[in-house]
Amino acid sequence: MNDFSSGTQATVLLLFTVLVTLTLLMCVMAGPDRDDLTNFYTGYLSLTPFKNGLAIAGDYISAATVLSTTGIVALTGYDGYVLAVSTALSLVLLMFLLAEPLRNAGQFTMGDVLARNMPGRAVRVAACVVTLSATVPFLIVQLSGAGSLLTFILDLPHVAGARTGSIVMVGSLMIIYAALGGMRGTALVQMVKIVFLLATSAVVAVLVLNHFDWSFGDVLRAAQQGSGAGPAYLEQGLQLGTSAGERLDFIGFQITVVLGVACLPHITMRLFSAQDAPTVRRSMSWAVGTVTTFCLLVIIMGTGAAALVGSRSIIAADPHGRTSVLMLSQALGGSPGSTGTTVLYSAVAGMVFITLLSSVAGMTLAAASSLAHDLFAHAARRGQAEPRTEMTVAVWTSVVVGTVAIGLATLVQNWNVGVLTTLAICTGASAVAPALTYSLFWRGFTRTGLLATLYGGAACALVLLVFSKAVSGTPSALFPDADFALFPMQSTGLVSVPFGYLAGWLGSRLDHRRRAADSLENRRLYEESEARLLAAAK
Amino acid sequence: MTYPDENRYPPSASPGWHQPHTEPQWYGYEAPRYYPYGQAPWDEPYAQETPRHDADLAALRSAYRLLRRTSTLTALGSFVLYVVLSCGAPGLMGSKIAGELSLGMALGVLQLVVTFGAVFWYGRSAQRSVDPLARVVREQAVTAGRNAGVAR
Repeated sequence: MNDFSSGTQATVLLLFTVLVTLTLLMCVMAGPDRDDLTNFYTGYLSLTPFKNGLAIAGDYISAATVLSTTGIVALTGYDGYVLAVSTALSLVLLMFLLAEPLRNAGQFTMGDVLARNMPGRAVRVAACVVTLSATVPFLIVQLSGAGSLLTFILDLPHVAGARTGSIVMVGSLMIIYAALGGMRGTALVQMVKIVFLLATSAVVAVLVLNHFDWSFGDVLRAAQQGSGAGPAYLEQGLQLGTSAGERLDFIGFQITVVLGVACLPHITMRLFSAQDAPTVRRSMSWAVGTVTTFCLLVIIMGTGAAALVGSRSIIAADPHGRTSVLMLSQALGGSPGSTGTTVLYSAVAGMVFITLLSSVAGMTLAAASSLAHDLFAHAARRGQAEPRTEMTVAVWTSVVVGTVAIGLATLVQNWNVGVLTTLAICTGASAVAPALTYSLFWRGFTRTGLLATLYGGAACALVLLVFSKAVSGTPSALFPDADFALFPMQSTGLVSVPFGYLAGWLGSRLDHRRRAADSLENRRLYEESEARLLAAAK
Repeated sequence: MTYPDENRYPPSASPGWHQPHTEPQWYGYEAPRYYPYGQAPWDEPYAQETPRHDADLAALRSAYRLLRRTSTLTALGSFVLYVVLSCGAPGLMGSKIAGELSLGMALGVLQLVVTFGAVFWYGRSAQRSVDPLARVVREQAVTAGRNAGVAR
């Protein structure tokens, strides 16, 4: 618990109120026009690359990145550094491999990209199912984390009522942002968030280094001591272990992160709000720059937390270290109750709060857009829906998705739901990434192949994860008392990513054999639209 | 507010573009000057436009493919190598190179720092190799559309 004077609490509350009021005002003022779909789904096509890049980076750096990654760096050292590198690299890969053709091919959602050569409702439904199964788990993790985090920040009593209250409050705000603001409103919130986040993290990192007189050696030495692990802190293996199987698991997890995180639908959806391929390239350059800078800061902050707070106190507050940034700011501020502590702690608390709000809003919006655009407008109404109706549906699906997520997050708030983050990332890497790469770059890709990739990859990730060590059989698992772990790993990417690619290939081969005419037609459609894909030619 | 088209495809916006069979002096300043016989390639009949279009599209495709493969494989390859080395050769990666700084940590931070340069390099190369070809393909698509309109 934090032992703070009421002055600090008052400042934190005041800052929260100011942040909420400010962002809500921006959201409502910038909200989309009543029947302009482009406005709702993509926001401003006129946003400068710099601002768009900030918005992409804002969507990309979720509360999980800020809190969990810092915690993992603080607790496991080297493994955390690798995670920070892979997080930054994932966005780089999105930029190098997918961003430009994705922008040219798509309009509003992932379904638009996948269904551009393969009309039919099944494709839209599959795109929507996979979008939901990648965003909703992530949403639930962050919301249920919001409960314990806000009770920690505001020093509320640790009872279920206080946590549920926090979840409902954050959830309601998130629904308002998504429903009223659309892509346009949330872009502004993301920009405010990323600027606030970078500025505060930079200050914290500078204070850490300053505390050690800018000697990296001293920071590392203190971190090895504080972590209680000694030299092992700077070697691979603290997170998952050092046996051959555990090392393989680690490699698999990092590769899954690299392939999966940037493919999550709420991030690819942001790309559609760039004007054309050169703009998306410049936007992504800014986004990658921002994210990389932030990852460097995360490394410094996490190491600083290990050095100054010590892993024993971090684990006592939260076994996964999610409160390490907050505890670091307390440790840096000096004596409790001083102005320095108050200001620094409030700033970091505000940064965590706005990050939570904006990232859950972005995910709600992505899920709701897919429901409204793919499922309602294209699958149910066969693309005949009025823009005005579709927009109303999009607003209401945001409310529904948000409400369901709040309900689920409240239900699972006492469980260790970190595994849901893994599920989201594995779904991204094993279903979304293969579907997008095949659909954009392989002319022989067919409808059966697409459905096999989407459903097969997602199902494989889900089934393997249920029987993995992350769900049962280990003390940190979701069900620590049960043991039905048949798959001896923490994440499934090492098997499910190749499976997703293989399923797509086999499905397409099947179509070439069985339905040669259809597959030829697919190839012709691909070739016809290639000028648009590569050059945005109409 | 200017329309993006105004800056980006000046030839397609000019009146001479519709009527390629008018006075040759148009080519004088409309076409690049190095066509020796005043025969700009788009002056040829529509029938020959498809192969040209295909050739340009193929050039664009291979330029994109080269850029995509080089950049993706370099980024992914270096990271996979880094992770595999971290796990497979902990002794090597744990060796201290300066004070407390181990080789593995230094490589990790180095990758993050190199990212800035890589992104800058990608932007520059794309601007040089891909963007001009994409512009040609777009312009041809516009002309092809117009010619189809005239023929109808």
